[in-house]
Amino acid sequence: MMEPNRSLVMQGIAKAYPGVVALEDAGFEAFAGEALAVMGANGAGKSTLMNILGGEVQRDRGVITLAGHPIDPASPREAAALGIAFVHQELTMLPTMTVAENIFIDAFPLQHGLIDTASMNKQAAGLLNRLGAIIEPEQIVEALSTGDRQMVEIARALRRNPSVIIFDEPTSSLTQPEKESLFKVIRGLKRDGAVVLYITHFIEEIFEICDRVTVLRSGRTVGSGAISGMTSDAVLRLMLGDVTTTSAKSKSRPASSNVALEVRGLTRRPLLSDISFDIGAGEVVGIWGLLGSGRTELMRALTGLDPINAGTIRWRTEDGLAPITPRALHALTGFVTEDRRGEGLLLPHSVEDNIALPSLSKLTSWFGFINRPQKAALASSMIAQLGIKIAGPKQAVSTLSGGNQQKVVLGRWLACGPKLYLLDEPTRGLDVNAKAELLSLALKLAHEGASVLLVCSEFDELMRVCDRYLVMVRGRIVATLPGSVDPGNLMSALSRSKAVLEAAP
Amino acid sequence: MTAATVQEWPWRALTDRITQHGFLMVLALLFVGLSLSTRAFFTLDNQMGMLHAMAPVVIIAAGMALVVMSGKLDISVGSIAFLSVAIGALGIKYLSWHPLFAFSVSALTGGLLGAINGIIIVVLRVNPLITTLGTMIMFRGVALQLTDANVIVLPDTVRHFGNLAAGPVYFDVIVATGILLACHQLHLRTPFGRQLTAIGNGDDVAARVGIPVARTVFLSFVLCGVLAATGGVFAAMQVGSVTTFLGQGLEFTAVAIVVVGGISLFGGQGSILGGVLLGALTFEMIRNGLNHLGANPYSYRLVGGVIIFIAMYADALKRRSRNEPSGL
Repeated sequence: MMEPNRSLVMQGIAKAYPGVVALEDAGFEAFAGEALAVMGANGAGKSTLMNILGGEVQRDRGVITLAGHPIDPASPREAAALGIAFVHQELTMLPTMTVAENIFIDAFPLQHGLIDTASMNKQAAGLLNRLGAIIEPEQIVEALSTGDRQMVEIARALRRNPSVIIFDEPTSSLTQPEKESLFKVIRGLKRDGAVVLYITHFIEEIFEICDRVTVLRSGRTVGSGAISGMTSDAVLRLMLGDVTTTSAKSKSRPASSNVALEVRGLTRRPLLSDISFDIGAGEVVGIWGLLGSGRTELMRALTGLDPINAGTIRWRTEDGLAPITPRALHALTGFVTEDRRGEGLLLPHSVEDNIALPSLSKLTSWFGFINRPQKAALASSMIAQLGIKIAGPKQAVSTLSGGNQQKVVLGRWLACGPKLYLLDEPTRGLDVNAKAELLSLALKLAHEGASVLLVCSEFDELMRVCDRYLVMVRGRIVATLPGSVDPGNLMSALSRSKAVLEAAP
Repeated sequence: MTAATVQEWPWRALTDRITQHGFLMVLALLFVGLSLSTRAFFTLDNQMGMLHAMAPVVIIAAGMALVVMSGKLDISVGSIAFLSVAIGALGIKYLSWHPLFAFSVSALTGGLLGAINGIIIVVLRVNPLITTLGTMIMFRGVALQLTDANVIVLPDTVRHFGNLAAGPVYFDVIVATGILLACHQLHLRTPFGRQLTAIGNGDDVAARVGIPVARTVFLSFVLCGVLAATGGVFAAMQVGSVTTFLGQGLEFTAVAIVVVGGISLFGGQGSILGGVLLGALTFEMIRNGLNHLGANPYSYRLVGGVIIFIAMYADALKRRSRNEPSGL
């Protein structure tokens, strides 16, 4: 059954977006009947690579061959016709339609030109059964849980009997039994001779289900091999870079006794459980964990962007620590994320307009008109302070590089003078210099007395600025480490606590 | 925070029930009320007359419903009706076309005009509302130019046909019912209809799932154009002439019918048969009832407007209750 050449090869794949290089030289070799784990930290380029294979993104360079023939999937439809199925992490459900319709949406079974609903429902039930999922085919997807929706998504991919099937984070919303039956299906697919590509942030899973592993870092393939010759430590090291070369900046500043923010028992089921920590004024605290560990969710919960189930937050006021609601905290916080557009940068507008936007009400003159000289002064002081490189304050933000755009975001917050900064992957997609500048800006903010909570997937960047680390695994803070910690220890804190959590779920 | 979400539940269940069945209850109450308060309302003649009056706009609203299902909008249907019927009528008058041929040309013209909308939306990627706002003005302008803004009187045979009835049932009611049922089947039982609904769930998601979004949307506008012209033909036949008022405001009546019928303007939701019927009956009953009550004819607009607001609010409530759990 299994022909030895029936394998999938991606070689020298490159893809650049305006301002960001997503892939430089990525690739892998996958064999029929085997599952290949595609690993990499957040932003390493896994998704782009898989999207290229799935026909959703067009590559700039590189070769893809399937069973020895070069292929060039130009659209998801073409990829599907080639036998490539993609189970997206971001679900592509049609909520107002039934489960069966969602599975058969691009290939309805017909009878006399009309959809054969009975046959469709029966086939859908068969596919769901194979997955061990208990979902009615006639049910409207809207009413399903995320886990069930994930199962429907997988059923849709299985329907075409694909020869290559990509699973992008399939288990992140599955319960343990659902995960077990998914693994059973993957084993079945392997037996049938399919190529399985498996992306996950849960390292232990790849040892359970995959045969080989390929690791990407910063758009390049940095290692591959049989899973039997790997340890989770080794995979992590490949993913995160060589730690020994990282010079951890020695932090001599004493931990501030002046707690600015105190969080106790913060819980947002099922993503965050019982998070407790303090941040002192002038302290930079790094959150160390992989994507999916709840880092972003913690920041969102803290600022009321997501509701919380339990927990208290207290904030330093003149009379000591006083309880504060997440929404009220939001008003005092500068929040910078990797998603510059989502943060509300108005790209077509000028740097000056963008910086002044949240402060406009303070810049009005008589009759509520905006005081232009004052606005210009504010903007140019921020531009100077942050070293934003532009032709002039009237330049449109859309023409700036990623690093300068990010500085505009920071400048906007600086103008409001917050006492707490939440920085969620602020350096994503920036070049080395811009990263360094942004990090030193974070340090400067701390020196001026603000508290900074930093999420960053880049290990060495985190080590450069943090006074303390909170190690996060699966929605919990599993360890707190001092800034002076040895890089190797910090690295292994992750795999160690992962193992502990796995042992006692 | 937890307490707040728990407290929301009974309120949500109540609004859910109201949004699901509220309009039907209001409609039933209205029907009973009008039957009791006026002598002429609850008579076979009046009921059949109502259906007769509804028929053209039901055909147009059925086409509109298809477009709305994909989350788009076509407000040029009134002008499409006018222009395509005017071309048919001019053919009858000056080229002595056979009426059947002439009205086939009208339907074809409707499809062509719908295709123009479709091309602008799909190829040039202009927002559908803006596109059809433009063509609404344009098509009407062309029609006024062609007719010199004159009334075109249709031959007596055509007028007779327009008010033809088999027993108490008017011919156009039968046609409208057939078209409505066909659209309903098209929506529920064909890949085209299901893919329209899928597009109504979001263009991006639909494209990623592998649906030919552009082709499907284009086709829906062509169909909407054909049905707009067909509805226009029956409207003209009822009065026996093509006036410059033909189809004026019809686009908004059609949208209102669709919305009141519970077909979400955001797309992907609602039933064509039930929705269009419910919406059209509501408006016709109010118009007819107010007439029998001897109310000021302009009060119809006020009442109609209020009903649209209520329907939109119900739709918003429905969406809100739907979005909250999935926000988790």
